[in-house]
Amino acid sequence: MRRRTRTRMDVCSFFIARLCALLLACLPIVAGATELRIGVLAWFGDQTAATQWQTLGAALQAHLPHTTVLMSYHDMNGLEKSFAAGQLDFIITNPGHYVVLEARHRATRIATQKIEPGRDSEHVVGSAVIVPNERTDLRTLDDLRGKRIAATVPDGFSGWMTVWAELKRRDIDPERKEVTPLFAGLPMSRVIETLDRGEADAGILRVCLLEHLVRQGRLPAGRYRVLSPQEPDAPCLRSTPAYPGWAFAAAAQTPDALARATLVALLSLDGRDSVLRWGVPADYHPVHEMLRELQVAPYEFLREHSLGAHILQYWPIGAGLLAFLMLWLLYTLRVDALVQRRTRELSAALAAREELEENMQTQCQKMEHMSRLSVLGQLSGTLAHELNQPLATIGNYARSLTRRLWSGNLSEEAIGQAAHEIAEQAERAAGILDGIRDFARKRPSRREDCDAPKLVGEVVALFRGMLVHAPEIRIEDKLRNEKHSIHVDRLQIQQVVLNLLKNAYDAQVEIDRAGQPIDIVLEPEDDRMRITVRDHGPGLPDADREHLFEPFFTTKPDGMGLGLSICKSIIEAHAGQLVATQPDDGAGLRLSFTLPFAATARHDAT
Amino acid sequence: MTPHKPDPVIHVIDDEAPFRRSLIFLLESVGWTACEHESAESFLAAPPSLHAGGGCLVLDIRMPRISGLELQRRLAAIDSPWPIIFMTGHGDVDLAVQAMKDGAVDFLQKPFKDQAFLDTIERAVELSRTRQQASRRRGEARALLTCLSPREMEVARLLALGLSNKEIGRDLAISDNTVHVHRQHVMEKTGTGSAAELARLILRADPAGLDG
Repeated sequence: MRRRTRTRMDVCSFFIARLCALLLACLPIVAGATELRIGVLAWFGDQTAATQWQTLGAALQAHLPHTTVLMSYHDMNGLEKSFAAGQLDFIITNPGHYVVLEARHRATRIATQKIEPGRDSEHVVGSAVIVPNERTDLRTLDDLRGKRIAATVPDGFSGWMTVWAELKRRDIDPERKEVTPLFAGLPMSRVIETLDRGEADAGILRVCLLEHLVRQGRLPAGRYRVLSPQEPDAPCLRSTPAYPGWAFAAAAQTPDALARATLVALLSLDGRDSVLRWGVPADYHPVHEMLRELQVAPYEFLREHSLGAHILQYWPIGAGLLAFLMLWLLYTLRVDALVQRRTRELSAALAAREELEENMQTQCQKMEHMSRLSVLGQLSGTLAHELNQPLATIGNYARSLTRRLWSGNLSEEAIGQAAHEIAEQAERAAGILDGIRDFARKRPSRREDCDAPKLVGEVVALFRGMLVHAPEIRIEDKLRNEKHSIHVDRLQIQQVVLNLLKNAYDAQVEIDRAGQPIDIVLEPEDDRMRITVRDHGPGLPDADREHLFEPFFTTKPDGMGLGLSICKSIIEAHAGQLVATQPDDGAGLRLSFTLPFAATARHDAT
Repeated sequence: MTPHKPDPVIHVIDDEAPFRRSLIFLLESVGWTACEHESAESFLAAPPSLHAGGGCLVLDIRMPRISGLELQRRLAAIDSPWPIIFMTGHGDVDLAVQAMKDGAVDFLQKPFKDQAFLDTIERAVELSRTRQQASRRRGEARALLTCLSPREMEVARLLALGLSNKEIGRDLAISDNTVHVHRQHVMEKTGTGSAAELARLILRADPAGLDG
């Protein structure tokens, strides 16, 4: 401990000695400088400050004859701005402000003001908290909890900050409203006025001001006393630690030579006036410490990490936010409950609808089945004939064989011919029955990929099989090779085509043109396939065409009027539309519809 | 029952090939000569003539383009002697009535019994033969009558109507003697011995030959 102290002292004397040597050596260079711009922190405006500081200006000018000393006076913000703008070579300001400028603008102190003669410059600034002597309840700073305390301004160093720090160290935080500061403004005498009026419990004065006022007789001795005096033997009583005095600092861009010349001039000044008393630069660490504790400039960023302080400072906002969150949560829960209820209602409705649709589908299938049976019924006359034909043929051959056997002229050749024909006709009859059975079978709807030309071909074969003198049916395949496959219910579509063919045929028979060919066209249309059946019958008047697809509409004396309405619902179930149009080229009617292609369109050109 | 006359021919005209062939097979089983035609057109393209042996046509009433009924009309228009049997798979009563009015021999509804079919064929062939005979005798009668002069033909008609020589002479404003001479020539040329015989001959040549 002792050793360290000595070392520091050594460094100090070494530093001073060296500075002096350097400054002396540099003097001739400095002689060339023209202006020395000094900015001073002024609390009370230019006039007062100028009066206070002009002595220093004059003294420096006297020591630096080759330069023009220009003094300017600013408030805290103005001083910082001018300094930052490079308009000042030096500044003179209070310790707190200096620390800020040092941190923000690289100000470098070259000297510290000595206020109390005979004391080192490091311990010259501090504050005294005074209370009326009769307030016996206020003994120490700790007693100020919950009290009102008069101060100058919020950014006053010895007028507020030093005490603030001291209170905070004692866990009395003005920011938590544990003590209420009353800012009376400057000059500092206003603090005393506030106390005199009884508006505050305690007041803050810079150190020695109380003693000074008493000495001058402006304040009766003993009216106020100092709380928690730090060094009871000192000529001036302090309630706070002592901090370094005002700093005389150079800007970063100020030439070293000028700084040295100015320092030498400052150190050589002497006089009673405090503005002329400057010493070696003090250690401003205590100031840094204090400002850090207070979390004010340049340590305001520390506040961001102080959650507790934030919560305290912003608790109304926090509470508001919390209330809002609660409301929002309640609202969300309510909405959620509503959504769940609606969802339940909706799913119930959906289930009901599905059931209805299922019923409808069942009904539809029944209708469809009925309609197929009805088509068969309508065709049964010709159907019976169609079956008769092979049966009669078979009978003829069989009886012929018997006759030949009896008459004794039965040749092997005849047997062969007859047997062959009988077999063929039996197969033909079976084929017709198969077609009918397939067609009449009750079954659920089932979609599959099938080859459209093949499907149409099968229907045409079935249709022709049902008629004795079936008309020619021409199939025109305009499909591109790779797109033949459609995704449909094969039997339903067969039923539709069969119905359309039967209608076409009936229409032609009606005007005795049964022998006319019926045309079927397969063609691509956008992403679907269009199938058209065209007859050469009498056509339909527009009025009838409108009702064509309505159930029970028919132009036939024995028709049920269900065929086309069922066809229409089948096509609509395949997302298509069944339409009847007048052909451009003459009489007849054209019925057409579209079907979806199979999703996996085959690319092999088969 | 087995045909003994030279080769009557049965023509079957039906667009249903298997059934048509089965009929041919059946007809041939009992010894008929049968020809098949797939349509009325193919029959009309080279219409076979009905010869002395006789024969008949078996027609499907409904065929594409030219129907059975239409073929019947066309044949009637050219005085075809072929007897016609109709077949139908549909119970077309109206068509059947029309066909019978137009001189069809019979009307068979498919399917029919082979015996009924063969009996009808038999009848039709008989009819064709009768028709052939009548036709032949009409030809002979006409040939005889064409030898008569117009005056002789007039006398012959009046004789056949049973008029006496006197009445004929008065009608034609000629003398009894002249009537007698004409009568002699008529009897000689036609080879008839009586007025009744002459009347039969004239009617054979022309069933309306004695009308007003």
